[in-house]
Amino acid sequence: MSITLDQVTKRYQGVPVVNDVSVEIGDGEFFVLLGPSGSGKSTLLRAIAGLTGVEHGRIALHGRDVTHVAARERGVGLVFQNYALFRHMTVADNIEFALRVRRMKRAERVSRRKELLRLVALEGMDERLPAQLSGGQQQRVAVARALAHKPEVLLLDEPFGALDAKIREELRRTIRQVQRELGITTVLVTHDQEEAFALADRIGVMNLGRLLEMGRPDELYTRPATRFVATFLGAANLLLARQSKHGIQFANGAAKREHTVNGSPPGREHEVVAVLRPEEVELASARESLNGSYLAAGTIEEMVFTGALERLRVRLTKGAEEVQLARVNGDDGHYLEVTRTQPEQRAFQVRPGQNVFIGVRRVHVLPTPLSSFTACAPSESEVEHLSMQPLLVELASRMKTRVAARIEPALADVNGDCAAQEGVFSGAAVIAARPESLKSIECLLARGAEEVFVLPPNAPSPQRVLIHWADEDARAATLAVSASLLRHLHAEAIYVDVQPQHATDTQRPQGMRALLDARAEAQAVHGLEMRTELRIGDVASELARRLGESTDQLLILGVSEIKGLAQRFGELLSATPRWPLLVVYREPEVQA
Amino acid sequence: MNAAVRDVARPLRQPSVLPGFGLTFGFTTFFLSAVVLLPLAALVLMAARMSWHDFLHTILEARALGSYRLSFGASTLAAAINLVFGFIIAWTLVRYEFPGKKIIDALIDMPFALPTAVSGIALTTVFAQNGWIGQYLEPFGIKVAYTWIGVTVALTLIGMPFMVRTVQPALAEVQKDLEDAAETLGAGRFHIFRRIILPTVLPAMLTGFALAFARGVGEYGSVIFIAGNLPMKTEITPLLIVIKLEEFDYKGAAALGTVMLVISFTMLLAINLLQAWGRRRHVRTTR
Repeated sequence: MSITLDQVTKRYQGVPVVNDVSVEIGDGEFFVLLGPSGSGKSTLLRAIAGLTGVEHGRIALHGRDVTHVAARERGVGLVFQNYALFRHMTVADNIEFALRVRRMKRAERVSRRKELLRLVALEGMDERLPAQLSGGQQQRVAVARALAHKPEVLLLDEPFGALDAKIREELRRTIRQVQRELGITTVLVTHDQEEAFALADRIGVMNLGRLLEMGRPDELYTRPATRFVATFLGAANLLLARQSKHGIQFANGAAKREHTVNGSPPGREHEVVAVLRPEEVELASARESLNGSYLAAGTIEEMVFTGALERLRVRLTKGAEEVQLARVNGDDGHYLEVTRTQPEQRAFQVRPGQNVFIGVRRVHVLPTPLSSFTACAPSESEVEHLSMQPLLVELASRMKTRVAARIEPALADVNGDCAAQEGVFSGAAVIAARPESLKSIECLLARGAEEVFVLPPNAPSPQRVLIHWADEDARAATLAVSASLLRHLHAEAIYVDVQPQHATDTQRPQGMRALLDARAEAQAVHGLEMRTELRIGDVASELARRLGESTDQLLILGVSEIKGLAQRFGELLSATPRWPLLVVYREPEVQA
Repeated sequence: MNAAVRDVARPLRQPSVLPGFGLTFGFTTFFLSAVVLLPLAALVLMAARMSWHDFLHTILEARALGSYRLSFGASTLAAAINLVFGFIIAWTLVRYEFPGKKIIDALIDMPFALPTAVSGIALTTVFAQNGWIGQYLEPFGIKVAYTWIGVTVALTLIGMPFMVRTVQPALAEVQKDLEDAAETLGAGRFHIFRRIILPTVLPAMLTGFALAFARGVGEYGSVIFIAGNLPMKTEITPLLIVIKLEEFDYKGAAALGTVMLVISFTMLLAINLLQAWGRRRHVRTTR
């Protein structure tokens, strides 16, 4: 492996800007770090170069641990967005800078310089000053300079950012060529997905300091695992759908059309988030002439001609109340983004205002368990108040999902018969923290909610998320939910395991193993880096003590039995929780 | 060659925000003449009324030679001290964030604003044998007030803001990225300073040096208090000129003034040429 990052964390004033990033980049690989500005990608690159220290974690280049090695001894080449050429030196002096530092002989220097200038197609420019070159040429010089000392790793920090489109493409080709010719391991940072697609062997998508997903460009585009990657890599319509063993259906009502998806997990019906790419949407004048499955009817709202493609915004009319978009675009209606190729346009011409029928060719279901939120409270005003809670609003907007409202009279009456109420739950149920929260949670879980989110009033955005599950049956689901939540938070994940005070000799190693397994599974299956803590004592009181340490924490509890909640965590939940609590409940799978 | 043609071909008048090229250019010429050139010409004319013999006698007498040595020597030394420490102050102000930075930044300009006599008296008080600093230097046999060291100290104080204020913007121009780039290329701290930072700020440092030096040569108010004004030892040329004036020897004063004018002009010209040469050296390599 050329570059190995292991749990690299960098904080600025306590806030992790690079959060537990682990990645292995192979020899000669072209790896692109893609993310919006502020996602921590440049900081990560600077950490690899050695220009920024890290608080935690390990960085190795070609198997050599360089975590505490100065930048000048790491043997990397770095190219900056603003070129960072030495303006008082000629091109030749710029390129030979690293060679002079190494006291290389003049003849060798000159031949190396000539070779590099040929590589970046700038022969004969030796004696120019940077100011006499165009932006594209300057960046070529910067690339040549970064390669002069034969670094093992080439790092590029938004190298095309300051260039216009044509030159950008040219330089992109040059860099790809140079990289292939030298076979040098390269990491490029960019916020431009087109650039990432054009260059990368593998893309790593970063957001909020976390490396969310990694994979080949086509893999990431067709099968993203997270909402963020789905919407950041290309455009995507996010739809809420119900998935059962028969397939997936978009409408709530009777109009059930099933879309088959590959690898839909068996089990009971539940809500999922489906990604519908704009190019997978089909428009037709009649429902019968659709090739794909019918989704809804709509009206063309906006048309933009972009050359090869036509971009449309279609407002859902009939079926808007059935088809649920995860993200509601504006208050006045639901829109679908659609792109159509020239042949499609010729086959069925549309104009703004026209009514059309919308079909779906292909959808991809995200394996993310937190699909949406449903605020539950006994009265309308309380529901209203709950859905305006800042943390909930923040989470929903980051997760690009909606907060549905639901009036639950049963929540008012602690001793009432909870199960008597009817209704199917979608997504996570959200309730306000109250003294009798435990009863409410039990009630909602009994009625089919899989996750219950308990919110104290005005809870701050958590800095730490504590994760704990009552038994091994709850592990997989708890990890999945934790990973899904943590992707959208600037927080650290900490798995807290509690061992009984008087554990037997056989219990102790088992507990240790569970701890290590949990970490390994979190990373391997969900890409979630979490820290682990082992505490000794009573579960509820240890968790309470840990939660008492600071106010900006969130607790995720996993259970596989409803009554287990009261048994194991009764003490913890007896008073009004002062921290946000997310209870994850999955029945153990029955072996058929 | 091309550049030369372009220079000639470029029209004298260029559209600009302020109207009336004729008016502004005329005003510039008039202003320079009235405030700078005419008084200087008058000075030279006054000196020219002397015979060569008298002139040479006046400017070459031992007391005058001693005063040149002190005036130009101390000014050069003070400017050189400022070159180093002014750079360090500018570096601190540009590169670091610390509480009270704004106040220190404002304090730099104090020597500009203070009447020079006040600075002189204050310095004398501090550096006198029983002053705050002077009393600790005394046991080592170092006397500051009433010696050439005192003169240098005063001129350093007076020249410092010139240095800091010219270097500051130049240092701010040196992007952190350049240092980072040099570091990834394997350069150590000294190398980065020597090859990257210094060449970028050197022109500004030379300008600062020239300004501080010029200010030092012309300084009068602060020096006469701390110098003690012993003929041959701690007497600066401006003071000698004042003494001549008080003796109604206007011609002698003008002669000394002319010498100062010539030496100052020569040194400033030399510094400017040095800078121009430095610039040309970079450009030449590209032709």
